[in-house]
Amino acid sequence: MTTFMALAPLLTVVFGALVVLLLEAFMKRANREPLGYVAALALLAAGFFVIRSWNRDLDYFGGRLVLDRFSLLLIALFVILGLFVLLMGLKYAARQGMNLGEFCGLVLLAVAGLMIMVSSTDWLVVFLGLEVLSVASYALSGLKKTDRTSSEAAAKYFLMGSFAGAFFVFGLALVFGTSGSLDFSTLLAGGVSGAGLAPAGAVGLGLILAALSFKIAIAPFHMWAPDVYEGAPTPVTVFLTVGPKAAGLAVLFRLLVPLLRNEPFAAVFGSALSLMAVLTMFAGNLAALRQRSVKRMLAYSSIAHSGYLIVAVIAGDGPSLVFYLVVYLFMNAGAFSVLAAMSRKGVEYTALDDFAGLGRRYPWLAACLSVFLLSLAGFPPTAGFLAKFYVFSGAVREGHVALAVAAVLASLISVAYYLKVIVFMYMKEDQGEAAIDQENPALYLVIFLCLFGVVQLGLWPGNLLALIRQALSAAF
Amino acid sequence: MLELTLSFLVFGLLAAVMIVINYLLGPRKPNPAREKPFECGSPPLQAGIGPVNIPFFLVALLFLLLDVEIAFFYPLALAFRDRGFGGLAALGTFILVLALGFVYAWKKGIFRWS
Amino acid sequence: MIPPPAAFFILAAVLFVLGVLAFFVKKDLLTQFMAVEVMLNAGNLAFLALAKSLGKAEGQVIVLFVITVAAAEAVIGLAIIVLIFRQRKTVQTDELKDLKG
Repeated sequence: MTTFMALAPLLTVVFGALVVLLLEAFMKRANREPLGYVAALALLAAGFFVIRSWNRDLDYFGGRLVLDRFSLLLIALFVILGLFVLLMGLKYAARQGMNLGEFCGLVLLAVAGLMIMVSSTDWLVVFLGLEVLSVASYALSGLKKTDRTSSEAAAKYFLMGSFAGAFFVFGLALVFGTSGSLDFSTLLAGGVSGAGLAPAGAVGLGLILAALSFKIAIAPFHMWAPDVYEGAPTPVTVFLTVGPKAAGLAVLFRLLVPLLRNEPFAAVFGSALSLMAVLTMFAGNLAALRQRSVKRMLAYSSIAHSGYLIVAVIAGDGPSLVFYLVVYLFMNAGAFSVLAAMSRKGVEYTALDDFAGLGRRYPWLAACLSVFLLSLAGFPPTAGFLAKFYVFSGAVREGHVALAVAAVLASLISVAYYLKVIVFMYMKEDQGEAAIDQENPALYLVIFLCLFGVVQLGLWPGNLLALIRQALSAAF
Repeated sequence: MLELTLSFLVFGLLAAVMIVINYLLGPRKPNPAREKPFECGSPPLQAGIGPVNIPFFLVALLFLLLDVEIAFFYPLALAFRDRGFGGLAALGTFILVLALGFVYAWKKGIFRWS
Repeated sequence: MIPPPAAFFILAAVLFVLGVLAFFVKKDLLTQFMAVEVMLNAGNLAFLALAKSLGKAEGQVIVLFVITVAAAEAVIGLAIIVLIFRQRKTVQTDELKDLKG
C-alpha cells in the first residue's frame, strides 16, 4: 500500500536528529544528558512506527522505499543498536571529551542512513542511504576532537570510504548503461533470464560489490577497519562494527540471492564471494591472535564475523543471516560496553594487561565479558553457538561443504584469542591498578540487556526464529 | 526594435537615478579599505599562494554546501507545472532543513570572526 | 561537431582509471581526496553519456544527486583534514601511524 506512513520511522529519526542538534546549539547548561534522552525518545518512537507497520507492506516514492517485513526486521535491529550506542555514550561523552549533542544527532542521522539502505530496491536510493550513513560515521569516528587517534581514524575512514563511494558511483553508471534502469529487478531480470549480464554490467556489478565489501569490511577490502574501529570512540565502534555491516549484507542479500541461483552468474560471483569469505575469516582471526589491545582484537574479530555472515549470504540462507546479525548485535555490543566500562575521566583501559586480575577486582564485569567472549567464540549454551550452528549447517545443506569446513576451522582459531582474555582476567596477577569509574547506570543497563539477549537467544531462540522465518517467507 | 530601445531607456534611466541618489544621500568618509577596487576582505595584490584565514575556510565550507544544494532547484523549475503544490511543499521542506542547518552553524559561531 | 556519447564514456573511463592511479600514487590526504573527486566526476560523466545514448532523463537526475552528495562529503572531509593538520602540522598519509597492531 502506498502511503506517507511508510516514511514515519525515517522521518521520526531525522526530525529527532534536527531537534537534538538545534537544542544543543541553543542550550546553556553544561549537563548535556537530556539531549541523549530526547534522541532515545526519537528512536523509541521510530520503533513504535516499525511495530505499527508490521505486516502492512507499506511503500512510498513510487515503490522506491519499501517497508516489507525483511526491512522492518532490520530497521528494528538498527533502532536497538542506536539505543545501545546512545546509552553507552551518555557518560562516555563527558569523560572522554566528546560533545554529547553532536554525538546523539549524528547517531540518529547514521541510523536514518541505515534505514534508507535496507528499505530500498532502487540503486540510487541505496547509494543515498549509504552516503548519509558514511558522512555521519566519518564525523562520528572523529568526534574526540582533541584525541590524535580519533582524528586519525576519521581521516582513514573518510579516505577509504569516499574511495569506495566513487567505485559505487561508477559501478552504478555501468549498471545503468546496460540495464537502462536503477531498479534491482531490471538487473535481476537480465541476470536470471539465463542470457547473463552484458560484460559492462558485470563489471559494474563487480565495482558495486567491491564498494559494499569496503563498507562491510570483507577481505581484501578490510585494511581500514582495524585502525578505524580502534581509533573511534568506543560507542561509535559498536555502531560501526554492527550497523554498516548489517545494512551492507542486507543489500547484498537482496541483490545476490536471486542472481546466485543462476548458473553462469554463480560460477563467477559465487566462487569470488566464497574466496573472499574464506580470506576474511582467516585474515581476521589470524591477525586477532597477536593483538595486545583488546579493542583492536575485537576489531579483528569483527572482520572475522563478516566472513561468517558472508557464508550465510552465499548459501542464500536469510533466516540464519538475520538471526546471526541479531545475536552479533547483542554479543558485540556487550563486549564493547564492558570495554567502555573500563574507563575513568580521560583514560580508557584497552590493553590486554589492564584486564589481568579483573576477575578479582570487578567480578561482575569480568563475568559478563566472559559470557560475551564465549558467545563470540561460539560456545554452547550461548547464542553465539546457535547463530554459528544455523549458518554453518545452512551452508552444508546448500552444498557448500568446503566453505562450512573452513568456517569451522576459522572459528576454532578464534577460540584461542577469546580465551586468552578470559585467562588474563582470572588467572593472572594484576600489575597495574586500573581504577575504573563505576558511576554509569546507563552503560550497566546496556550490559545487562546484552547479557539477557545472549543468554535468552542461546537457550530459547524459538520465538525470534519463528518471527524471522515468517518475515522472510514472503519476500524470498 | 521599439521594445528594445524602450527597455534600454527605462533601465538606463533607473540606473542613472540610483547612482545620483547614492551620490546625494551617501556619506563620504574615505578610508583605505573603501578605496580598494575589491572590498571583500582580501587585498587585491598579494602572493598567489598565501596563508588563508581559518574563518574564511569555515565560511567557504558552508558556502560550498549551500551553493551545491541549489542544484535541486533546477529540476523542480523544469517540472514545476507537473508537480504542482506537492513539489513546492517538498522543496519548501528541503529549504527549511537547510535553513535549520544555517541557524545551527550561526549559533555555533561560524560567523564570529577571531 | 559534438562527439558521440561513446567518446564521452571512454573519456569517463580514462578519468576514472587516472583517479584510481592518483589515489594510490599520491601520499597526502588532500591530493588523494582530489583523486577521489576526479573518480566521482568520471562517474557523473559516464552517467551523462549513458543517459544521452539511452535517451533516458533519469541519468541526468542521478548526476545532480551525486554532485550534492559529493559536496557534503567534501565538506566533512576537508574539516577532517584541517583537524589532522592542526594536530600534526602535516597531511602526509605516512605520518598517520599512531594506530598500529
